[in-house]
Formats: sequence, structure tokens, C-alpha cells
Amino acid sequence: MAEVAEADFLLATRGRAEELGAWVVGAVFDARDRLAFALADGTLHPAGMQGDWATVAAHDGAVLSACGDMQDGWLTGGDDGKLVRTAPDGATQVIADYKGKWIDHVAAHETGLRAAGVGKAVHVLGPGGPLKTLTHPSSVGGIVFDAKGKRIAASHYNGASLWFVGAKEDKPRVLEWKGSHHAIAFSPDGTHVVTAMQEPSLHGWRLTDGQHMRMSGYPGKTRSLAFTSKGRWLATSGAESVVLWPFFGGGPMGKAPTELAGGDQVLCSAVACHPQHEVVAAGFGDGLVLIAEVASGKVVPVAPPSGSPVSALAWSPNGALLAFGTEAGHAGLIDLAKR
Amino acid sequence: MSESQIPVTVLTGYLGAGKTTLLNRILSENHGRKFAVVINEFGELGVDNDLVVDADEEVFEMNNGCICCTVRGDLIRIIGGLMKRKGRFDGIIVETTGLADPAPVAQTFFVDEDVKRATKLDAIVTVVDAKHLPARLKDSSEAQEQIAFADIIVLNKMDLVSAEEADEVERLIKQINPYAEIRRSTKSDVPLESVIGRDAFNLQRILEKEPDFLSGEDHHEHDSEVNSVSFEVSKPIDAEKFNAWISNLLQSKGQDLLRTKGILYYAGDNRRFAFQAVHMIADGDYIGEVKEGDPRKSKIVFIGRDLNRPQLRRGFEACQVEA
Repeated sequence: MAEVAEADFLLATRGRAEELGAWVVGAVFDARDRLAFALADGTLHPAGMQGDWATVAAHDGAVLSACGDMQDGWLTGGDDGKLVRTAPDGATQVIADYKGKWIDHVAAHETGLRAAGVGKAVHVLGPGGPLKTLTHPSSVGGIVFDAKGKRIAASHYNGASLWFVGAKEDKPRVLEWKGSHHAIAFSPDGTHVVTAMQEPSLHGWRLTDGQHMRMSGYPGKTRSLAFTSKGRWLATSGAESVVLWPFFGGGPMGKAPTELAGGDQVLCSAVACHPQHEVVAAGFGDGLVLIAEVASGKVVPVAPPSGSPVSALAWSPNGALLAFGTEAGHAGLIDLAKR
Repeated sequence: MSESQIPVTVLTGYLGAGKTTLLNRILSENHGRKFAVVINEFGELGVDNDLVVDADEEVFEMNNGCICCTVRGDLIRIIGGLMKRKGRFDGIIVETTGLADPAPVAQTFFVDEDVKRATKLDAIVTVVDAKHLPARLKDSSEAQEQIAFADIIVLNKMDLVSAEEADEVERLIKQINPYAEIRRSTKSDVPLESVIGRDAFNLQRILEKEPDFLSGEDHHEHDSEVNSVSFEVSKPIDAEKFNAWISNLLQSKGQDLLRTKGILYYAGDNRRFAFQAVHMIADGDYIGEVKEGDPRKSKIVFIGRDLNRPQLRRGFEACQVEA
């Protein structure tokens, strides 16, 4: 990408960027395509293409994880032990207080569910308050709802646990695999669960028959993984390119992954899949952001290297906006809607 | 090493040895430095600090076919979280429980790429009770390991022992780990600068310190199973031979080798290479140009169990280049 002129990056023509001054933990869109950046200084910054970006003091400490809240607004978990909802107008509300325990992971589903990963526990909450607490054998490395919000999967040491949110009796289906599991993803059709491991490699389970899938060869840890909209590909960070595993035609077992946008000897640090098309956005260790079309391998530069790893990356649900943030606090938003 | 790496001090020691007292002294002294403190959930005393994180001491095995390769999963997670708040503190102090094996903590700083990038192990400080250590060393392998891993040992509760008892305890400690710096104290009252910001994991300093009784063969009676040996050679080291020897040695004997440290002068290289390992996990880096007048003697130290001195000596000597 070294030879690409500044003006060729979409950020220059279709976007805006600001320095927010702290590690960007999450670039989060709510269900209505409203963006907020969540930062490690405890602030949340609702941000748009027009107007000033606001600053909301959401936590006394750091935001450790962030997601879009149930129907609108944003949900953040902090190292102050608080689970906080910030409404689109910037009003904050403490949803739960875990008394100083770190909230490492949050997730929400539009059907009216929230989840907070606190140590070994995953607290599941509804609009009216706490519903249940799911306990795991060790600290939870990541949590994710399936597309319908019926199940929640939590990764941990030696595997992952799959729970039915609505079950009367909470007994998980344990997906076992030796080692420490972190980031976790559900395939859109709910048939596969994949985790990123300490090792560094990925492990997957086909839920119909428990078939194991090992995906390895990464030079670095995978921190970010996401399925493309129809679930045909799993895009992952952790290599010097965007590594995509095929989840069709019998794959990923026995299939080589597709690699996109490689060649700069910089590790990919974040990926985000377009909500409709087979297009993946990727951020790299030097701050470079790009978009790649899976079928053609065509790469479009989005933001030039700013020198700091891309730590947050997200598409708006309507697919028109792409937002990114870096560890150094550089945050950007690009409008990709047809003009 | 990058300037921005946050120094980490690991505090180990048996329950009641004075670890938490030392921790509170470090935190309350007026030094203008801010620390993030990682403590065990079931710690015996309260810790007064702005940034205290509860740890679960989750020890994870790595899937690399090496059974003693364990790391502290909770520490990886916590350091990852703390690093997002860089600038809010100048150092991290990790307190372990009394019964903890220090290896997983130390190995975490060698194995995890994120932890390695963000932090550097400043020192492992072990607080011991001068009165009760001899008994502990007899009945617990953890106590021995905590001594073996230490860079600095705070020999605490000196008011409870006679001068003779104190000397005997020091002798026992030196038998296990002659490279650690021993600081005598009552109520953990050691100067802050003797335990914090030491860069004691810096091998150079450790290895330049040559304990007298290690020169030549020793014929001590060993009261504990853990002890140490060191060897020095004057011809340059053949990097390939050394790597082959040490990898094979760590693979086969790594469980018994608690700490391995070396300063090596490779043939045809004008830099010094620092090598270190915790059990089977090895790491190494160049530590600068050879200075004028440097005798260029390569040296290696093993701290562990059942050390076969003649075999280790022959092995290291055979790594020298042919004359």
C-alpha cells in the first residue's frame, strides 16, 4: 500500500477522522446505524458525518467492551464493574453494577437481551433486569448470541459452552477442546461456533455432529473474527493478510484459506464483514484500513497508516458506513453510500 | 526493548511472610509513582490503592506439546485490559498466593506476544519469613521454587531470629539460588528502590555477580533438592551447537530446570547474547556491543533439581568453537 497517494484513500474524499486521545475499544453501531466510539478512558463518543462528536462520560475507569444495545443506543462494560446503557441522546443509565469486577465482554440482541461477561460468570439480562447467571469452569474469553438470540456461546479454558437463553434449567452443551479460547463467533445460520485460541490458531465446532475444525498457521494471535453475511467465509485477523476460511463445499476441513490484501508484512489486527455483500474491511498493525471484495480480491484503500494498530472496526447495519479506531485514539468514519 | 514497556514486579512468598505488608509499604510510600496492583481474590489483608485488580490465578497449559509450559491466563487478560489505560500508572505489581508456583507467572512474560510487547518483567521479589523458612523448605516444593525464581529475596522478620539463625537461613537460600540479592528486614521495611525499578531480570547484572563458592566444584551437603550450577568458558560459542544443545536439554530436562540464564559470546559476533529460560520456555536477545577489555567469557547458570554437573559442564564446553 506504500505507493498509494493520500488522496486515493476513501477517508480523504468520503470520511472524517478525529483524535480522541485514548485507546479505541469499540466502534459500535446501534441497530439504527448510529455510531459511537467507546474509549479506554471511560468515555463514549457518539459520532456522525455531520456535527461535532459529543463526549459522554460513561465509566469511571476504562471501557473494556462495547456493543450496540438492544434496539438502539450503546451498551458498555467497564473496569469500574458497571454495565452502562447510553441512549442516542447521550443519556446514560447504569444497567447493572458488579462491584468493581471487570466486565470483560458485553453482547446484546434486539429481541431484548443483554449479556455481561464478568470473570467466570455470564450475566444475562432482559429489558426488566437480570434473568440468569451462567457459570463457567474458568474466566470467559468471549461471548456471542446466535443470530436469533436463542442461544449464547461463551469461550473459556478448554472449550466453549453453549446455552439456551430461555431454558428453564441451565445446562450448557460443552464444546471441548484443550487450551485457552478467546474471541468467539457464531455462523449466521447458527450451525458453527468458532473460537480464537492462545496458541495462535482457531478452533471450530460443527454443531450438528460435533465435528472439530482446526485452523492454524497464524503468526500472531487472532483477536478479531467474523463470518460474511451469508456465512460462506470466516474472516480473521492475526496474519499478514486477511485470512478467510471457506465454510462451504465441505470446508474449512481440508481446504486452504483465501488470503486477501497481504504483502506489507504488517499483521492484520481487526476485521469486519459487510452486512449484505461478500466484502470485508480490515485494519492492520500500522493503522492502515482497507476494504476487500472476496470474490475478486479487489482492494480499496480506506485510511492510510497512522502508526497505531487498528483496534476497532465496524460496518453500520445498513452497510453504508464504516468506522474504525486505533490504539492511539485515531478514529474515523467513512460514508460509502452511493452518491 | 521498547521504552514504552511497563515494568512488572512479581511478589511471591508464603502466607504470613509479610508480602502484603511489603506491598502496602510500596504503595503508601511517597514516591510519586502510580502502580496497578494485581492481587489474589483471597488475599489475607486489604490493599489500599486506586487501581487494584482481582486475579483468579488461572493456570493454563499451552498446546505446544510441552507439559510444563503453563501460563497465567488471568494475567494475560488483565494486562491486556490495563494496557488500554497506559499512562495512568508507571508500573504493575502482581502478588501471587503463598502456595503459587512462580513458573506460570514468569512464563507468561515469555510466551504471550501481547504481554511481551506491552510489559517487561522487572523483578521477581520473594518475601520469606526468616524464622520459618528452614521448615518450609523441608516440606514444600513451592517454597523452594519461590526462592529459585527470585531476583530479590526479602528476608523478613529478622527480629525473631538470632544472628546465627539468620546466617543459616541465608546459607540455605544461597544454596538454592546464589544469584538473588538478599535484603534483611523486619516488618518488610526495605527501601522501595531495593525492590522496585531494579531491572533485576536484566541478566547482565545477575550474571556479573559471581558467588564465591560456585567457582570450582562444590562439595556442599544439600539440604534441599533445588540448587544451582554455573559454568564459564573462554572460547567463543558456536551458535548452532549451542542452540542444538540447549533445545535438546530444555526439551528433555526442562521440568527440572527452573531457571536457566546465560551470557554468550558467539564466534564472529561483536555483541553479547543474553539467553534465559523458565523450564522449557526460552528467550534471548542481544544486549549490546562487547566493551574494550571484556574477557569475553561465556557463562551459563542453571537453577533446578537433580542437576548433573559433569554432564552439563561437558555439554556447555562442547558448544565452544573448535580451536
